[in-house]
Amino acid sequence: MNPTPSQVAALVLEATGRGESVHTAVVVDASDSSLVGRRWWVSGDRQGGTLGSAALDRVVARGLAGLFAGRGPTAALSRNFVYEEKGGEATAAVYVEAHHPAPALVIVGAGHIAAPLSRIGAMLGLRVVVLDDREEYATEGRFPDAADVRVIDFRDPFAETPLARQDRVVLVTRGHRFDYECLVKVLRMPEVPCYIGMIGSRRRVRATHEKLLADGLGTSALRRVRAPIGLDLGGQSPTEIALAIAAEIVMLGAGGTGTPLAEKERIVERFFAD
Amino acid sequence: MTNTEILTALTELREPAVLATVVATKGSTPRKVGARMLVGERGVVHGTVGGGCGEGEVVEAALELLQGGRPRIVRVNLLDEPTSWSPAVCGGTMDVFIERAKW
Repeated sequence: MNPTPSQVAALVLEATGRGESVHTAVVVDASDSSLVGRRWWVSGDRQGGTLGSAALDRVVARGLAGLFAGRGPTAALSRNFVYEEKGGEATAAVYVEAHHPAPALVIVGAGHIAAPLSRIGAMLGLRVVVLDDREEYATEGRFPDAADVRVIDFRDPFAETPLARQDRVVLVTRGHRFDYECLVKVLRMPEVPCYIGMIGSRRRVRATHEKLLADGLGTSALRRVRAPIGLDLGGQSPTEIALAIAAEIVMLGAGGTGTPLAEKERIVERFFAD
Repeated sequence: MTNTEILTALTELREPAVLATVVATKGSTPRKVGARMLVGERGVVHGTVGGGCGEGEVVEAALELLQGGRPRIVRVNLLDEPTSWSPAVCGGTMDVFIERAKW
């Protein structure tokens, strides 16, 4: 049976939710019209369906890596593929999609900032993971939007949370000592996440940097840490602080500057001056 | 993310529907490759392939396919609408693949 778009959608959601990538393909036009609508998918060493010809499946599978090199988290395109069929050449236009897991937002510390940040992160399409060593805080009830809420030990906080380059880490634990311990571990990971933010006052942050140097980390590692965390929005409530953190994450991911657009463009000054 | 939304909508379908996917574009088009729309018996259920700009044609073809027929490409020409009052001024062509989403 040809898998339906609904079945493949369920599979994609399930696999990406577990942190795995999926490629899906469907024939949209072909010299052999009986192939149109045939569907095939692959995820790691699992695959299902067929494009209607084993030879065509192989040609598309071989092409996948080249097709999507350097593309974003989800990408789609169609291409003509030539394959062998009954001793001759046949062609098929195949529409292919790459589905990758959403980047993770790992919030370490399940306190008052983590709750609104988890919600905003989920709204931004990030896979939110919340970690804390306090069972009464790290609960699914407090974080309904999080994909994962874990009770951890600060001696090995990321034991079950592998981090990759595209992930974001926010350190907002109940104690500065825990923030520091987590920070050192993140900076020493083989693949350092693209965003590492840590909460703290100027004095605290300065002390952190001194200790990082004393612990043998270089200034390049220090520069990777966004601390104090967040954009300067002036807000004070946990939700306002969470918004300032989320804004910084969006800004760095999208290459923005954080400058108010009205100040950047200065429309009145430029075009409506007396 | 919209991609997750349309995938979720696909898995939660409770009625026969047609999935329309933009699979190729040429020139200026309102949506890009990968844009999706679900069409049920009473019209669009989810998503868009470009609003006024040619979407009507796709919905019509999708409703036809719901009555029976094989999956196919609908080529939408956005060039010949000189009298259109649509604010979305397009000027390209769009290949939209339509197929049954579930049943």
